[in-house]
Amino acid sequence: MSAHSTAVDPKSASLWARHYPGHDVIGTRTFGFWLYMLTDAMVYAALFASLVVLSHASNMVGGPAPSEFINPRVAYEETIALFASVLTYGLAMVSLKKGSRRGVTGWILLSALLGLVYLGLSVADNVNLFQHGITPQTNGFLSAFFAIIIYHAVHIVVGVAWMLVMLLQIAKEGFSQNVVYRLINLRLFWHFQAVIWVFVFVFVYLQGVVL
Amino acid sequence: MSGHAANPLHHPEVSIANGKTYLANFVISVALMTVALLVVLSGMAPFDVFLVTTAIGGLTVIIQSYLILHTDTSRGQFWHTFSLLLFVPLFIVTIGLTAWMFHGLYQRTMIMPARSGASPMSLHTRAGTR
Amino acid sequence: MLVHLQGSWSPALGRLCMKQLAFLHVPILEYTFAVVALLGLAAVGAVTYFGKWKYLWREWLTTVDHKRIGIMYIIIGLVMLLRGFADAVMIRLQQDMAIGPHSPGYMGAVHGYLTPFHIGQIFSAHGMIMIVFAATPLLVGLMNIIVPIQIGARDMAYPYLNALGLWLTGGGAALVMLSLFIGNFAHGGWYGFLPYFELPYSPGVGVDYWMWAFQLSAIGTSLGSINLIATIVKMRAPGMTWMRLPIFTWASLSTNLIALTSFPVLMVALALVGMDRYLGTHFYTAGMGGNLMLYNDLFWIWGHPEVYFLILPAFGIMSEIIPTFSEKTLFGYATMVIASFAIGGVSWGVWLHHFFTMAAAPSVNSFYSITTMLVGIPTGVKIFNWIFTMYRGRVRFELPMMWALLALSLLIVGGMTGMMNAFASNDYMWHNGIFVVAHFHMMVLVIASSIFGAVEYWFPKLFGFKLEQKWGKWFFWFMVLGTGFVFVPMFILGLAGMTRRLDYIPYTAWGPYLHLEMVGIGLYGAALLFFLAHLYVSLRDRESRRVGADAWGTGRSVEWMTHSPVPSYNFALIPHINARDEWAWRKDNGLTELHPGDYEPIHMPKNTGVPLVLGAFFFTLAFGLTWRIWWLTALSTAAIVIMIIVRSFDTDTDMTIPPNEVERTEKRRSDRASDFIATGVPPYAGGPVGTATAYQRLPEPAGGTGASSGGRL
Repeated sequence: MSAHSTAVDPKSASLWARHYPGHDVIGTRTFGFWLYMLTDAMVYAALFASLVVLSHASNMVGGPAPSEFINPRVAYEETIALFASVLTYGLAMVSLKKGSRRGVTGWILLSALLGLVYLGLSVADNVNLFQHGITPQTNGFLSAFFAIIIYHAVHIVVGVAWMLVMLLQIAKEGFSQNVVYRLINLRLFWHFQAVIWVFVFVFVYLQGVVL
Repeated sequence: MSGHAANPLHHPEVSIANGKTYLANFVISVALMTVALLVVLSGMAPFDVFLVTTAIGGLTVIIQSYLILHTDTSRGQFWHTFSLLLFVPLFIVTIGLTAWMFHGLYQRTMIMPARSGASPMSLHTRAGTR
Repeated sequence: MLVHLQGSWSPALGRLCMKQLAFLHVPILEYTFAVVALLGLAAVGAVTYFGKWKYLWREWLTTVDHKRIGIMYIIIGLVMLLRGFADAVMIRLQQDMAIGPHSPGYMGAVHGYLTPFHIGQIFSAHGMIMIVFAATPLLVGLMNIIVPIQIGARDMAYPYLNALGLWLTGGGAALVMLSLFIGNFAHGGWYGFLPYFELPYSPGVGVDYWMWAFQLSAIGTSLGSINLIATIVKMRAPGMTWMRLPIFTWASLSTNLIALTSFPVLMVALALVGMDRYLGTHFYTAGMGGNLMLYNDLFWIWGHPEVYFLILPAFGIMSEIIPTFSEKTLFGYATMVIASFAIGGVSWGVWLHHFFTMAAAPSVNSFYSITTMLVGIPTGVKIFNWIFTMYRGRVRFELPMMWALLALSLLIVGGMTGMMNAFASNDYMWHNGIFVVAHFHMMVLVIASSIFGAVEYWFPKLFGFKLEQKWGKWFFWFMVLGTGFVFVPMFILGLAGMTRRLDYIPYTAWGPYLHLEMVGIGLYGAALLFFLAHLYVSLRDRESRRVGADAWGTGRSVEWMTHSPVPSYNFALIPHINARDEWAWRKDNGLTELHPGDYEPIHMPKNTGVPLVLGAFFFTLAFGLTWRIWWLTALSTAAIVIMIIVRSFDTDTDMTIPPNEVERTEKRRSDRASDFIATGVPPYAGGPVGTATAYQRLPEPAGGTGASSGGRL
């Protein structure tokens, strides 16, 4: 009958939390950002669903079949660059644990550089396709194909820009609470790109070759 | 839980960083992706390639989310893992049910052109994969 | 890269030119514009006359206080509700006039007074505004206000993001309103038709307005959902375990999980429309390998969860109101929670029922038919829980309770007709028919009734006085009458085969029903006047209706444990939670002291104008994209990026309220509350019925409007 007469004895119950330390700011910030990353993953899920729908033979009218233009080797090189960048960002976080400002700065610079290598490869590959008349405007399949690849590349651009901003903030503030939670969020963001890239590499590039 | 005064560098999400697992993740992921690439280049039958690469991709994603996204059940990471697990069925529903619906729809409503060989736009001919 | 446009375009103004200023040419819009301009000038004049600009800026526009943000959400929602109602009146009037070949035409229309293009814009705007800019902001606003208080928190997890979400929604609403006067709006229905919405078939800016306004609101709502989830997960007061969480907070959690997961899919659906229209891709085109059904798929992957995103908080509101006015604890708390999440889960597997007629395989249609029917199970559980809560309770029919009961009755009608729609075979007959329209209007009226109930219920918490009851009851009963007159004929017409969105009615036999619907609209109009009277009288006589912390005397959850109106920091000391219905438990045990003393400094975020300015830039970005004014687009994008980065360097974002100021504020509230101790009204028993029989009445307080005790303060 009564849901609340069981547990607590009202005579000794604590009614107000005195000297309550407040919630865990860093944990709350990273959790919210993680939720955002999950929504972004849902954006990818919707894009992949579009790709599935637009991968039938009738969606490829007026353009080449994917096996005729997809170059899995370039994608493989991009994979190595991105995974290496993810590794170096992880090492930056190891330096953060030790409180080493030089370590963090150095590893983040390297990550940004590897991110740029990835972007260079990706841009070169896509420009090459565009020059051969293989563009998002060609047909439905190519629209979905490029939407996924370009959306992923945009994330890398944002990630690299974010790294540069963080370098400035570390220089200005050191490892304050704000800087630390942003570095953790950036780790979530950057490492998430690697996970998404596995999907892009396997389902768009590799399986595109045999589609 | 850390209040405002605590040193942010002692937060559990900072101390979770681990160079060894990151390195292990790099090695395993690159190895798996290499295998996947070799499978594709090996000229295996398309359907087998689908199965094998999907399995490798799934495995890589699980390994990565454990090693670099730290989706474990520790106190600091519990809610991250929980929310991810909540999303996974929805990813499957979004893509899977859509694929199922449209598979039937295409069969019932679309005239499926037989793909001719390499189109004039082909960059490099990969004979035998289709 | 960009598609070639038909029509004129200039680098400075994009597609904008004098001809597009619709309010200069269209007679109806001339009057509308005059009225809106006068109202706007009056508002600006009043603020200037009373010298309130500084107050407005400091206390409202730059606020990060979740309660004030919630109130502004609700104001946006109410304004847009009025706009959506005006659209409804226009649609009903057209369908009332344009019946049969001999019906006259006015103002350039062959029949009735609206051209097909014009009424197309009106029904699109009606649907989109009611769903996205009325119901959503109203519910988000309520959750924003109540959830942090119910879990004993000082604020949301991200106050700054909260303000940004508000101003994005505001920007979207402003864009829709602007489309009235500059250019035109989408004319193919609120959810869009592809490939009809592609550039070759809809070359105007209407679709672009629709798309960008939708997109802004989607971004705003997703940000809001992240915020609410993180708040509930991370910021509960000590002792607030999951099974002690107030039921409205549970409902908010499940509803925001739906928003979090489904809104990204809407963003994709709309972004792909945008890419087709701006970049010439082929996602949804009829030829060139596009697939128009892909749009329906993506849109309704969001669309159906969105429906439950709206209904679940409404259920949460009902679950709060009914126990309070039955003076009993909620029946079946655990099943209520499970049912909320079951509804949320099932909502993700039913979306094809919006397009059963797409020609999917029979197995697919059967699957979606069955999942749709499954929704009835958890909903039925909820209905029985509410009924059992009232059973043997001391039910008081005050206004919030009346609204909750109206919502319950409408839910049964809407739910039963929903089951009829769940049969794919039925859908083949009445797809795009008025029967479906009547069904979902029943459901949105469940939401509307709950919202009105919630406003009545929580108003005293926020403003410190109750709304009056006399005009409120007139308002209530005219809403009931209006609903009956509009929607019962609509169900009948639906079964007669009338399709939706008609600008001309070919069968004169339908005339009588449409005239009855017009009577219903008249009753709704009267209800609107009663609502205004309700607000005016309440505001005028507020001093006589001041209330203490526990405004209704029988409140049960944590929000009734702080003062009315709630101070900016919510709780001087964070409460320690000991029971599920904490406040009812404290009242049972005589622990109602709300002034524990020995206050501590309180850490709060500082006000900031950045979210407002960001919202304004998002608005100009969307406006620039709509009219293809590329310099404005580039400028707005750059401004947004720069502002976000610059703001991240700002370290002066928080402040501390010293203990003596907290004490001063608390004292002030205490004096106001003591008036109610002076009236000598005994508090109602708040806990379970216990030894009291169900029919035992406690003495009514003077005034006859139900309990107004402040508890033992």
